[in-house]
Amino acid sequence: MKDPRDIIRRPLVTEKSTDLMEEKKYVFEVDKRANKTEIKQAVEQIFGVKVAKVNTINVKGKKKRFGRYQGFTSNRKKAIVQLTDDSKSIEIFEA
Amino acid sequence: MKATWEKTEKNQGVLTVEVEPEKLDKALDQAFRKVVKKVSVPGFRKGKVPRPIFEKRFGVESLYQDALDILLPEVYPEAVDEAGIEPVDRPEIDVEQLEKGQPFVFKAIVTVKPEVKLGEYKGLEVPEKDFSVSAEDVDAELKRMQERQGQLVAVEDGKAENKDRVIIDFEGFIDGEPFEGGKAERYTLELGSGQFIPGFEDQVVGMGVGEEKDVVVTFPEEYHAEELAGKEATFKVKLHEIKRLELPELDDEFAQDVSEFDTLDELKQDIENKLKESKKQEEENYRRNTLVEKAAENAEIDLPEVMIENEIDHMMGHFEQQLRMQGLTLDQYAQFTGQEKEALREQFKEDAEKKVRANLVLEKIAEEENIEVTDAEVDEEIKKLAEQMDRDEKEVRRLLEAQGGLEQVKNELRTRKTIDLLVSNSKNAA
Repeated sequence: MKDPRDIIRRPLVTEKSTDLMEEKKYVFEVDKRANKTEIKQAVEQIFGVKVAKVNTINVKGKKKRFGRYQGFTSNRKKAIVQLTDDSKSIEIFEA
Repeated sequence: MKATWEKTEKNQGVLTVEVEPEKLDKALDQAFRKVVKKVSVPGFRKGKVPRPIFEKRFGVESLYQDALDILLPEVYPEAVDEAGIEPVDRPEIDVEQLEKGQPFVFKAIVTVKPEVKLGEYKGLEVPEKDFSVSAEDVDAELKRMQERQGQLVAVEDGKAENKDRVIIDFEGFIDGEPFEGGKAERYTLELGSGQFIPGFEDQVVGMGVGEEKDVVVTFPEEYHAEELAGKEATFKVKLHEIKRLELPELDDEFAQDVSEFDTLDELKQDIENKLKESKKQEEENYRRNTLVEKAAENAEIDLPEVMIENEIDHMMGHFEQQLRMQGLTLDQYAQFTGQEKEALREQFKEDAEKKVRANLVLEKIAEEENIEVTDAEVDEEIKKLAEQMDRDEKEVRRLLEAQGGLEQVKNELRTRKTIDLLVSNSKNAA
């Protein structure tokens, strides 16, 4: 099995994601190829919490122009992880 | 909050203040709310960063300085109150402990009002000074009125005399060379006014209309133009006109012209009365000032340097304002008089010290004698002020209240009453 730390790239800290923490939902950027099950297992393993469900969104890269060169930002996959009620919470250290 | 006061030197001490952690927390909250508007963290709009995220990113410590700025102005006066001290200067503040959840402790080194040990202040003697109005005083005043009424009359033939106004052309030469500023035409000069370099005006005296003359003078050593100072110069002077002040006769007619009185005697009487009035005022002022000064001299005070310095600052500010009314800045003044600002300060020092002493002593006497100012007295004073300013009484009161001037009026009244007490208790009371 893949290393869980390869699946979970980084936590997403935004206004919206901080609001979601109230409902015990945490948002991560994850590997494009990971599926919900893998994400669930990875989060449980890394943070030692219980995951109730995982929602994922594929985010397409945006067109960005730098001078005369046009390019794309990379595609990403976001995962919103809902912890179970009795699970402990995740402290996000990286800001 | 706990404040303990510990005296270290005569007029100095350390105020140790302990503030409850809750208060510190509140201040930190306030500080956060202020700071958060200015920081930007990716993922958040400005001002929307939640507290935990902020603290993780910047640390709680980053809030301390702002919290201090909020907390100190609030807590310090309270602490001063609690310790019952009267500081005269801004404190030097040393933070001992500042940590979230812990009491906030700081030390302030404060200079306080010195203790005043009153000396003799009752039964003081005022040296006699003559404030009577003599016949000469009246005559002198009359003479001034006469001169104001005088008219300049051209003198056709005859010689220029002292006090005459002459119209002259002049051109100055040093070693046969004309110099800058040494030439003028149809210049009006009052002889004996000392407007020109010494000797010049004296030599013009005795010249007739149309006469030309070489006037030889030496510039004084301390003349303001350096290249001229100490040099001998020859001025070619031509006199155009002589004007003499003709004084009106001192008679009843004159009295009618300058006043509403019909006869000269009445005018004289009036002048005498007015002079007496002003002398009386003078005497009163003299008496009060001397008494205050004496009482201040008799008292024992260890004046803290800062109090004097503050007073000097105050006086300098006042002086500068006066200059500005004449269209001068302090720097310009310093340049004109060739005095450094420091020298000016030095000059003010003695007065400043006297003033501070006097104020402290008066305050102490007022305290000792339980001199209080009642509201009725304040009302009275406001009424007077309103009359002086030609304003409505209520308006004046509102103005004063807005600027915190009411307290000032009260203080002033108390000072006045204190001096009254000095006066009525002095040895040769009027």
